[in-house]
Amino acid sequence: MRKYLTVFAIDWQNQFIYRLNFIFWRVRNVFRLLLTYFLWLGVFTSTESVFGYSQSQMFSYVFLVMIVHAIVLSAPSSDNIGGEIGSGDLSNYLVKPVSYIKYWFARDLSSKLLNLLFSIGEIFLLYYLLQPVLVIFPESFQVIPFLITLVLVVPLYYFINLSTRFISFWTPENTWGLAFLIIIFYETLGGIIFPLDVLPVWAKTAVQFTPFPYLVYYPVVILLGKVSGFEFYRILAQTFIWTVVMFIIARFIWQKGLKVYSSEGR
Amino acid sequence: MKEIRIWFFYTINSFQQTLSNRFITGVFIFAKSLRIGLFLVFLHFIFQGTTDLAGFSRNQIIFFYLSFNLIDTLSQLLFRQVYHFRSYLITGNLDFVLTKPVHPLLKLLLGGADVLDLIMCIVLVIITVWFGVAYITTDWIAWLGFLALVVNGLLVSAGFHISVLAFSVVTITVDHLIMIYRDLTSLLRIPIDVYIEPLRSILTFIIPLGIMITFPAKLLMGLLSWQMLTLSIILSITYFSLSIVAWNWSLRHYQSASS
Repeated sequence: MRKYLTVFAIDWQNQFIYRLNFIFWRVRNVFRLLLTYFLWLGVFTSTESVFGYSQSQMFSYVFLVMIVHAIVLSAPSSDNIGGEIGSGDLSNYLVKPVSYIKYWFARDLSSKLLNLLFSIGEIFLLYYLLQPVLVIFPESFQVIPFLITLVLVVPLYYFINLSTRFISFWTPENTWGLAFLIIIFYETLGGIIFPLDVLPVWAKTAVQFTPFPYLVYYPVVILLGKVSGFEFYRILAQTFIWTVVMFIIARFIWQKGLKVYSSEGR
Repeated sequence: MKEIRIWFFYTINSFQQTLSNRFITGVFIFAKSLRIGLFLVFLHFIFQGTTDLAGFSRNQIIFFYLSFNLIDTLSQLLFRQVYHFRSYLITGNLDFVLTKPVHPLLKLLLGGADVLDLIMCIVLVIITVWFGVAYITTDWIAWLGFLALVVNGLLVSAGFHISVLAFSVVTITVDHLIMIYRDLTSLLRIPIDVYIEPLRSILTFIIPLGIMITFPAKLLMGLLSWQMLTLSIILSITYFSLSIVAWNWSLRHYQSASS
């Protein structure tokens, strides 16, 4: 455990080396929020309520997506694992007494903490600039279910991410293809651009059988108080199942991948 | 003429490189189509709950989105090589480009056309023209104006990509800067008129992405005044010229540190 805490601490410091890159990355997240914010602002010019959301609830949704995005989806492992397998740099880790999977998880957590801190600052800035009417802070009983869901969702995203990046064992020259597909799935089916309530019931039901809505959409609607008791336990159970399933898949691909890994380029 | 021949060779090489892995090519085309399709579905469902979006009808919003995809994909098709510029900088390979007897931007800006974007472009042209003729206008003069403003938009895009190259020569920071451009253009998936001031003016006059993406569709819909049309052409030429000045200035500060 101590060595991964050290990895966490070193990564935390490393993030301050490339400050300009980090600032650009944060600027990009602000732009993402602006698109959805103004899209919904345009919709609410001619109506008071859309798909069960008032304007204040929808803007709260958009702002909360930014926070959950920072916690769940910021992951330096996304940009590095494929490249390390492709270039043969993975060998450097295999000969060390560390678990490659735990090593990158520690680094991801460090990145998430820094991104979370900045996203809170950005939200205050955007709130000051845009002056949206937001739903008042949720009651504590909604915060605790939200936090419980996040604890499961963070590893869920990590294992989905690992599974797609480990495909690089078979296609080392192109590490981006499958990951690009997954990004599109979680951006649209994960509720980042729009809440899944805009979909008809049959489509929303179908999407529930994929892991994507559990990454962002459900944590946000739980915090917004749109999920009742039984529904919460169902979401929790399905998130847990998906996390375990994705862990098994990621580990399976990792073990199979190591058998074909030839450390090319080293 | 020599430049066109060289660009043609660069393009063929780049296409062959991409097509060497057919599985990944297929995945990319599927993913890009899926992204466009899912957003269209989303727009469709939004209009189940509202009659208009900031005064625009469903068909107009869909055409704005199709127009965005067409111009954005055309821009990526032509200027894809900018995404690889960082490796030229940090390895020192930029020296080899600068010493060749052709303009370096031919390689650094136009030298890596992506066949995936070409395929997407062909599909998008067909869908956009079909949808525009069916639901916006059949007036061929308006369509000629649309085409002219698409070319005008590509000039803005070229200017932005050259500015990124120039900035990168000085700061060695390409990746996030070009992605910021991508995110900024993504804001124009919906018409510029939806945004409030001063963001609208910034995206129209300072970083003229509104001119690049929203204006062609607005012209086709008969929503663009001749004053704004004239201003958009002047601005794009100015923006492109300034980017060339910035590029030449950046080269004087290039240190060739890695070579």
